[in-house]
Amino acid sequence: MPSSIRDKVHRHLDICRQIQPALHQETHAPSPDMIDNAHFRAYTRSPHDIGGEPDIPITWEEKEEEVWEHNTFVTCEVLAWRGVWNAEERRRRQNVEVGETMYLGLPYYGRWLLTAAKILVDKQFITLTELQEKMDEVRKRYE
Amino acid sequence: MSKPHYDRNHHVEKATDIGDPQCFKGEAGKPRFKVGDRVRVRNLPDIFYTRTQGYVRGAEAVVAELVYESPPAEDESWDNTENVEWFYSLVFKMADLWPDYPDYFPNDTVETEIPEHYLEAA
Repeated sequence: MPSSIRDKVHRHLDICRQIQPALHQETHAPSPDMIDNAHFRAYTRSPHDIGGEPDIPITWEEKEEEVWEHNTFVTCEVLAWRGVWNAEERRRRQNVEVGETMYLGLPYYGRWLLTAAKILVDKQFITLTELQEKMDEVRKRYE
Repeated sequence: MSKPHYDRNHHVEKATDIGDPQCFKGEAGKPRFKVGDRVRVRNLPDIFYTRTQGYVRGAEAVVAELVYESPPAEDESWDNTENVEWFYSLVFKMADLWPDYPDYFPNDTVETEIPEHYLEAA
């Protein structure tokens, strides 16, 4: 039995690599018979679990954190101190709830900041209308 | 319209000045495994959230250390902190994880932490 699990694990990693989001790929609205159990598991896994998926090397660069990144970190910590979330809920939302496209496509602290706004809406501390009006107000300061 | 009530402060009150996972110390009970035991990782569904890597499922490992007690990530990430369990640091042989791992590095290992409910005796 374990060896058949291991076979499934490696087939799983192959599928996950193939479904990394790419532009201009026609994968919308598949019919049910196009999704077998292995593909269902690949689509519904936690997309931060990328270990073992083949990929090309990326360049490592030394980069100091920017002011907005520090501010984002502090905001998320304060949300924890005020009981809005714990660290594990924050990680789930930043790394998994954002979905695979945003997990791979947004900068690290971009996901933190997006998630800080999202939980305040999800748990009804603010309304989405309030958030959108505030974003519009702030954006106008720079126009 | 009714709004859900979130028990906002229970975790921060429990963890302040102690830390997480230190604040769960003593809540997991007797550990099922000890250092040196051989275990196998269960292939549980990974729907919605997990921190147990896909690449270790079904593989065998040796317990290197009992590291801390905590609710598993799958529970704590929805603020369910009642079911605390032991976390084990496990050592896997790389050759057991990757079919094409080169023969000339037979002693390479990877060590990672897995909660108890994912483990069965090997």
